[in-house]
Amino acid sequence: AEALEEISTPPRSVEESRELWHQSEISTAELSARLSEQLRLILEPTLATKLKGDYKTGKRLNMKRIIPYIASQFKKDKIWLRRTKPSKRQYQIMVALDDSKSMSESKCVKLAFDSLCLVSKTLTQLESGGLSIVKFGESVKEVHSFDQQFSNDAGAKTFQWFGFQEKKTDIKKLVAESIRIFERARPLNTGDQWQLQIVISDGLCEDHETVQRLVRRARENRIMLVFVIIDGISNNESIMDMSQVKYVPDQHGNLQLKIDKYLDTFPFEFYVVVHDIYELPEMLSTILRQFFQDLASS
Amino acid sequence: MAEDKSQVKVKFFTREQDESLHVQDTPIYAPISLKRYGLSEIVNHLLGLEKAVPFDFLIDGELLRTSLQDYLTKKGLSSETSLNVEYTRAVLPPSYLASF
Ligand SMILES: [Mg+2]
Repeated sequence: AEALEEISTPPRSVEESRELWHQSEISTAELSARLSEQLRLILEPTLATKLKGDYKTGKRLNMKRIIPYIASQFKKDKIWLRRTKPSKRQYQIMVALDDSKSMSESKCVKLAFDSLCLVSKTLTQLESGGLSIVKFGESVKEVHSFDQQFSNDAGAKTFQWFGFQEKKTDIKKLVAESIRIFERARPLNTGDQWQLQIVISDGLCEDHETVQRLVRRARENRIMLVFVIIDGISNNESIMDMSQVKYVPDQHGNLQLKIDKYLDTFPFEFYVVVHDIYELPEMLSTILRQFFQDLASS
Repeated sequence: MAEDKSQVKVKFFTREQDESLHVQDTPIYAPISLKRYGLSEIVNHLLGLEKAVPFDFLIDGELLRTSLQDYLTKKGLSSETSLNVEYTRAVLPPSYLASF
């Protein structure tokens, strides 16, 4: 019973969380307008919708239908294409914040809270669709779900769940669990529905290869994943200078020590390194724009 | 073998006078299963010396006689903590000293 109690009780009081939320709101108020403007341009469809078939009358002939039309003695006469009405692209967006202890050890907490507040408030203003907030560490927990209405109070309550004391950073579990949460939330009629996940973390995670496989699986499920790395604020060290130890078998099968740059094998293709909350709007919109460009050309 | 594949952020430093034994103070993400030998191999790799130098390792002034993992467990810490690891030239082995 004691263990259960521990799981269901958030580590922060609601009063403290409201105060923290309020502080984050103040720190990010100006930035929210900027981010909102940039995201609106990126997330909203700007292209005129494509021509679609098959109609009895329309704008242009659908050439594929002509031969069957003649062969059917002109009975199969739905040979026209029409320009259908532009539909608003709907997004379900999940923000996942790292609750592991390394976040508090590297003094990322303030920046992490500000980022979560900024991103969730801005996305809600865009009325893009549902918003989910997830915390991860040793385990994964959804602290705000897609079907809940987001508000300042709801935001403050999510802060309650972040104590930054978790003893592991299980990114594999995060990606796997996120795919499941998105799957459950995906409406049956998936016309123009996109699912986007923004991970906010110090970026320290193990087993890059396995994570990369999961990231690929997410992409196959039409989940876009962008990673915001919150980097070295307290001291002069940066994840960009960090290296990683690996043991790679040589031609005789003996393990050889290799030391590479940590970010060289970072499993998320779309990531940004942020040192200051003021950088976040620009960085986030840049990486999302890149994502869409990549998507369009693939 | 169900080995713990966890990694921990480590920063190496030394008080050795010899400048050629100093590594850059950038952090390294390394397996927590490492013991003295593995750590020594890393420091030597970083130093790029022609002849390998054996090192001893200390954390918070305490000589490391186990794996990093055992150290963390003993201190009630997790791999989320970054470690400042001091290295010193290994003292001569007892068998060698005895021959004097
Ligand atoms: Mg961590």
